[in-house]
Amino acid sequence: MKVLLVGSGGREHALAKLIRRSLLEPRLFIAMDYRNPGLEREAVETGGRGFVVHTTSPAEVAKVAEEISPDLIVIGPEEPQFHGVTDELRERGYIVFGASSKCAEVEKSKVFARSLMWKYKIYGRLYFKAFTGIEEARRFIEFAGDVVIKPARQAGGKGVKVLKDTQAYLSRDRAEVKKTYVEKLFSEMERYRDIDYKILVEQRVEGVEYTSMIITDGNAVIPLPLVQDHPHAYEFDIGPETGGMGSIQGPGWVLPFITREEFAKTVEVVSEVLKALQNEVREAYVGAFAGQMMLTGIWGPTVIEFYSRFGDPEISNLVPIVTNDFLELLDKAARRKLASAKLDIDENRVTIVKALAPAGYPDDKKLASGHPVCIDESRVRELGCEVLYASVELQGDGLMYSKGSRIFEIVCSGNSYEEAYEKAEKAVTYVKSLDGWPLFYRGDIGSKELLMDRFRTAERARTIYWSRMRRGLLGKVLVWIPGEGISDNPLIGFLR
Amino acid sequence: MGSFLVVYAFDELWSLANIVRYGLLSLQHRGSQSCVVCVPGEKVVCTQGESIDEVSKEAFKNVALVVIGNGSDDTPVETDNTKSIAVASERPWSGSDGVLQALAKALSGNGDIVEAFVSAVSKASSNAMPSLAVLTKRGEVIVWRSSSSLSPLVLGSYGFDMAIAASESVAIDILGGEVKRFLAPGEGMYIARHLLKRFTVNANSERSGLCTFEFLYLARHDAIIDGVSVYLFRKLLGKELAKHIESEVDVVVGVPETALPYAIGFAEAIEKPFEMAFVATGGRKRSMLYSDPFEKLVAIHLKMNPIRSALEGKRIALIDDSMVTGSTIKTVSQILRFRVGVPEIHLFIASPPLVAQCPFNVMKLDMKSLLAANLSESLAKDYLEVDSLHWLSKEDVNGVVSRFGLKLCGRCFGVVFFGCGK
Repeated sequence: MKVLLVGSGGREHALAKLIRRSLLEPRLFIAMDYRNPGLEREAVETGGRGFVVHTTSPAEVAKVAEEISPDLIVIGPEEPQFHGVTDELRERGYIVFGASSKCAEVEKSKVFARSLMWKYKIYGRLYFKAFTGIEEARRFIEFAGDVVIKPARQAGGKGVKVLKDTQAYLSRDRAEVKKTYVEKLFSEMERYRDIDYKILVEQRVEGVEYTSMIITDGNAVIPLPLVQDHPHAYEFDIGPETGGMGSIQGPGWVLPFITREEFAKTVEVVSEVLKALQNEVREAYVGAFAGQMMLTGIWGPTVIEFYSRFGDPEISNLVPIVTNDFLELLDKAARRKLASAKLDIDENRVTIVKALAPAGYPDDKKLASGHPVCIDESRVRELGCEVLYASVELQGDGLMYSKGSRIFEIVCSGNSYEEAYEKAEKAVTYVKSLDGWPLFYRGDIGSKELLMDRFRTAERARTIYWSRMRRGLLGKVLVWIPGEGISDNPLIGFLR
Repeated sequence: MGSFLVVYAFDELWSLANIVRYGLLSLQHRGSQSCVVCVPGEKVVCTQGESIDEVSKEAFKNVALVVIGNGSDDTPVETDNTKSIAVASERPWSGSDGVLQALAKALSGNGDIVEAFVSAVSKASSNAMPSLAVLTKRGEVIVWRSSSSLSPLVLGSYGFDMAIAASESVAIDILGGEVKRFLAPGEGMYIARHLLKRFTVNANSERSGLCTFEFLYLARHDAIIDGVSVYLFRKLLGKELAKHIESEVDVVVGVPETALPYAIGFAEAIEKPFEMAFVATGGRKRSMLYSDPFEKLVAIHLKMNPIRSALEGKRIALIDDSMVTGSTIKTVSQILRFRVGVPEIHLFIASPPLVAQCPFNVMKLDMKSLLAANLSESLAKDYLEVDSLHWLSKEDVNGVVSRFGLKLCGRCFGVVFFGCGK
């Protein structure tokens, strides 16, 4: 079976590893933006090859497809979906696993996703306000309170400003930052011509984040085990937001700090959104879909945003635990015959993924680019771990150079968090920078301390949302302005 | 001893003046007559002053290192000739210049400043080393908790925007942040625009133990130290203290305001009412931290206007956290006797008698003025005008400290350590 995988990073490498184990004897072809040595190797070893193209160009990717006539095409990242690559390939008659551009709107436009949830009154929705023009945004932000400011379009998982504002004595300082940030974000969002709304101001919530991924053919839904990503760049959840510095999973389908009921509710929410989305765009959703969730005191399971693809690095956690034919699953979804399929996992294992990045990531891509790096892969394998190649490019001199984002993901598993953690901590030491440029990773991911912290935070959220549930207050945030009355708008702050 | 506050905003949009101001307000119970604010730039600029409001204005950038303490002795900050680096210590220390020079050399030669710090500190290794905080003109920060770990150091964050380090967890709470890590003895953090790195120097747990006074007196009730709630610790010591009761009392009273949780724990244990007894005037003053005896008395007197109706004619269990010179207790007993009119005062001290000077000069104790070291028990009772006087024994304290999994330095109480650590 010939499979064309579109995408260049760690997520695609994880997919390549999952796909090549299949009994369908896949030959893997990869359409990637740069020579990712890991992806290239997976392709060559299965008798396929890699193609360097612009993966967001429908014509270029179609050309590769024409050349190899694949039996299945898997679209990894969201940007090719946004740019119509999936649409073009389906139009040409290929069997494609991946959201269409219309369906991918649920990730591309955070305003669309939020509006959908409100229109269909779906559980776990947050209050928001979106802006197309800077003047209106400027006026609004003057009086905004405890909010998050986000780019209204998916922008590589970055640009989110969380401005906790529950203390009036620091409100003015935060208001200053909000104002300046809104200006800055507007000018940054100018380059996206494919969306009307530029920024989103959203109710801030706190709690424990987790990702719920599913595979769907538009009817059947197969949930994947829950995974927790770690968006802060540095240890102990400190520092700027990244695309994810690592993730944990297991044992089994839920995370240790999420209950079965919460998992069920989450899958219900994600499935309802999927239905509503298909109803709106009048198209079947074929591919991977995910809810970036948070267990909050306001709702319990709460939606932060959606992905129209597998999470990166979240999908990497599945590499060691999937026990049946993953390619068959993707293929059945793409052929809209998913009802007869299922996913089996090793429910006793725990997986930890750790990403390594050059200093400069995530805020200064230039600084983080062009550094030669290497990894002693055989030593990593000796530990029973896997290496996924992400933002590294093989160049003419035979060396790998950083491309500005996370360079490798190390995937380790074990019968306990302790075991997987120990392996992962050892495995990351086999990555080296060849020009002395500092690399970083998070030593706390998968540690007992961080897990305990998640338990405590989840328990606190649970105490609050259970009590709100008993009183019929889930999702509600009442604000009383004497003289004006009671309203339901938590975006307003202390400053009048 | 000085306290640290380091705020590092990763986004240059932030100007930290007001944030530093509130952070310092939350630390002022640890001593606040002098503070120094350092900010990066072409040169490191450090400004010293007495008023939090004034000095915090200098923290107008996105990175600030601040030390606050009882006097300029408590806030030593040294900068090199070129003003490219500042090294702040919690208390004066002979090795700080060595660290400063080593860092300045590394910085001018484009060396690794974390390596330079680690090597300089390990060379300077001594029992009494204070915790250190470093700021470079490029805006890099190092915070390091001394391996003797007499005082705490906590790391926190605010959203994706800030890393905050402080000597007490309350500063992170008050700035709207979240406490992320209690630095272990010898553990340090390097924080820069594009990197945050953890390192360890001289971690020798055998030598290290928090100063008992940190829990007993210095920290706020709402603080968490190395994972342990100060409030619960104090309440439990109060309960322990109740085991020493020998005569009937009507009400339990704590010396404001540190002793209140002790008194609450004590009252809970003997099932007698805990009463508010005194109201303070002019804000909270930490009387024990004044070195001038007159200033100290002024601070005590301002704290102690009694609520007569709650106390008149009652037999009182009076609780305090510790007794150094006894001057506070003397004042309280005089007020209770002469202004209120109480028939009996039974004094309970939630720590053992202080018998030795602090070898690290963390607590400025003068042997001549330590009541327990100079007066016999019956003389002390007569001087203080109390009917009975009870102390927690070293064994009592040891038990409570162990229950919390802590290890505290107890040299001024005549033991090396209380508890044994986790």
